[in-house]
Amino acid sequence: MQITGKIGIRVAALLLIGALAQILYKNTLWDTDLWERGQMLIELEGMDDSCKVIYFGESSNFSYHPTRDSLKDRISDFLSYHFNGLTFGTINHAAYHAGLYRALIARIEKGSAVECVVVTMNLRTFGQAVTHSPLETAMQQEKVLFSGYPELLRRTFLTLNFFDNQTELDRDYIKWKEWTFDTLQSTDPEIIFKHPTIRSWCAVEKFPDSNGVEDMEKRSLADHYIKAYAFQIGEDNPRVRDCDAIMRICSDLNIRVVFNILAENVEYADSLVGPELVWLMRQNRDYLVERYSRLGALMVDNLEAVDGYHFTDQNWTTEHYDAEGRQRIAFNVAKAMEKIFSDEIQLRDAADLNGK
Amino acid sequence: MLFNSVAFLCFLPIVLIGYYVLPARHRWLWLLLASYVFYAWWKIEYLPLILLSTLVDYTLAIRLVRTKTRWKRRSLLSLSLLINLGLLAIFKYLILFLPDKDPMLLTIYRVDHPLLGILAYGIYFAIPVGISFYTFQTLSYTLDVYHGRVSPEYNLGKFALFVSFFPQLVAGPIERFSHLMPQLRSAVAFRYANFSRAFRLMLFGFFLKICIADNFSGLVDAVYADPRNFDLFSRWLATLGFSFQIYTDFAGYTLVAQGAALCLGVELMDNFRTPYLSTSISEFWKRWHISLSTWFRDYLYLPLGGNRVSRLRWVVNILLVFAISGFWHGANWTFLIWGCIHGGLYLLERFVWGKPGAEAGPIVRFAHGLRTFVLVQVAWVFFRADTTPHAMEHLHLLFASPGPEQLAVKGVWIVLFAAFVLSELWLYRSRFDRAVADWHPLVRWSLYAFLLYAITALGGVANHPFIYFQF
Repeated sequence: MQITGKIGIRVAALLLIGALAQILYKNTLWDTDLWERGQMLIELEGMDDSCKVIYFGESSNFSYHPTRDSLKDRISDFLSYHFNGLTFGTINHAAYHAGLYRALIARIEKGSAVECVVVTMNLRTFGQAVTHSPLETAMQQEKVLFSGYPELLRRTFLTLNFFDNQTELDRDYIKWKEWTFDTLQSTDPEIIFKHPTIRSWCAVEKFPDSNGVEDMEKRSLADHYIKAYAFQIGEDNPRVRDCDAIMRICSDLNIRVVFNILAENVEYADSLVGPELVWLMRQNRDYLVERYSRLGALMVDNLEAVDGYHFTDQNWTTEHYDAEGRQRIAFNVAKAMEKIFSDEIQLRDAADLNGK
Repeated sequence: MLFNSVAFLCFLPIVLIGYYVLPARHRWLWLLLASYVFYAWWKIEYLPLILLSTLVDYTLAIRLVRTKTRWKRRSLLSLSLLINLGLLAIFKYLILFLPDKDPMLLTIYRVDHPLLGILAYGIYFAIPVGISFYTFQTLSYTLDVYHGRVSPEYNLGKFALFVSFFPQLVAGPIERFSHLMPQLRSAVAFRYANFSRAFRLMLFGFFLKICIADNFSGLVDAVYADPRNFDLFSRWLATLGFSFQIYTDFAGYTLVAQGAALCLGVELMDNFRTPYLSTSISEFWKRWHISLSTWFRDYLYLPLGGNRVSRLRWVVNILLVFAISGFWHGANWTFLIWGCIHGGLYLLERFVWGKPGAEAGPIVRFAHGLRTFVLVQVAWVFFRADTTPHAMEHLHLLFASPGPEQLAVKGVWIVLFAAFVLSELWLYRSRFDRAVADWHPLVRWSLYAFLLYAITALGGVANHPFIYFQF
């Protein structure tokens, strides 16, 4: 009994210290920590109260062509130009994906003015090259700060690495396993994967000249495309789980979800790697469209909406577009949103927007 | 499982409840299970290797006491050395001889042969954490049995627990069989005093690791990655910073390990005693990573003849012991050089500048201490740098023209560091758990509150596991 009392007093003292520490931390260091590592939450919380639509995007939203673009407006800006009397908010951060959007969407207050979220769906973020990217650790750290726990607990979780905190080597290991052992399955008799794993597909000889010497520049680019797009999305995909969660959260908040499948340079993928890769890209797109339409989201399929010319990085897999590409994507999203905001929509063509 | 993780903070109470609820005779089994769970938490692939090491030394030790013929006994001992050191060589040192250090390139592009692929996989991805620690622990057991210093353990499970006891499995202290095993065998009743001391040890250990080491790690990594880019202040800060990072990282780990073990009634040996307050290199090695330095003393230096050999032979032995102890840290020539530097300094101290005697005054002691500290700092550069040329460049840049960037140092880090320095001076002759035991409860709990706040609100977020895990 004596021991129990002793322990009880000490546990109570520890709890009291914890409570005081939370008050002290929240009123002193929290803002600085959030500014350093979780600015998107500050932006979300500082958004206009009348905001009805929030656009969640990554670098595709704000990238532009350095020489060709006179208009540098973001996709979300172009999107807002198609609506009258609707306040738009934008959350964008390079390399963000559904996992981060999910955590931020969960912080939208119940009863807020938000009626719709437009969530960028970048196909590559569903693949192993991105899900096991070394960037992931830093993003998972941010995600901890977006959670709803008391501020001091969030900070402690950060310190104690209470998130997906694998090292780069650990992530490489998982990637290596998946690329070596996971096989690609075709459901189309015309598509046959002669090299059914990423590793074997990458290992095959590419672009040899008459002497059998490979064009290494093109070869490494082709391998990069294979690693970026050669995967098949299923229920256990981490991004699918995130998108499912977004659907659930938005359903609780009574918010409509618009998933914006971004355009990829399909033409280039075809010329570099071949129809098998394009088939995989389309299969993944179809999976997402079918799954989330069924779950009640508005799906905007922009996968092949932008011609290769409009990609700012001609030799890489980034979803960065010139102004025309961004306008095209925004237009398609706006058209889909007509179902939600039929009174406010006023679709404008590119000439209109150029003059804006 | 990392100590500084939520998983461990949940794991430890579960282990403790199970341990004290179970009847005494079954507790070792529970601890063994917990130890394997703790280890497999990283990767389940780690388990076969530790099981193999356990089985080899268990079997050979029993065979050793049953064999009377000298050459047979020597053969058995050699077999144990061969297997243990062979595993170490394959998993830690083969990497030195591979042509490409980039695992993805190696596995994706270059390796067309499946056997090489598996080898690359093993070397790059499945290097078991703590392999050097438990290998040395089992080796010391076999050597002790061979020399008749201990009797072998006939219960395989209990021996497996000695090898895998989770608080000290992955980064020591490297315990001796004669010290650890009797404690693991004995049934300990719940003692409040043990828990009280354990709490203090773990609290201070987490403070060192989370508040000092982890905050330094970001600064150190940035500068070591590209020292040319930083100004002189930053270069010096990172150079000094690493020495504090590695010390607080490892000492912090050890304190948490000691605390966790103490909850189970096991006293682990001390591994550090304020090493940067040493006044000589020989004293430094009596205060730094004590369990490893005594291991090398007992199982390498003394068998080589100790100081009862010719002067030349002694010099060679000293250099050899330091070089091997450096190389023990990993597959990089920089570790070997680090060990050789310490060996060289040890000899210089012995033959050239000496060390302060017991009668030396504070000024003399301070001067010797300062010199020791500076020399240890220089050696750390080789320990931290990726390659020898990088280490040389880093040392050169400490005096070269500055780069454009300066590290941003937060005021709160200075407060934390000052607290750490004060604690080092205060703990020169004591240990944290004992030093605060006699304090007035209000003062003691104020200190706890400060440490708890620092750990929860001011810890580094550099996402670094304990440095010594990689060894």
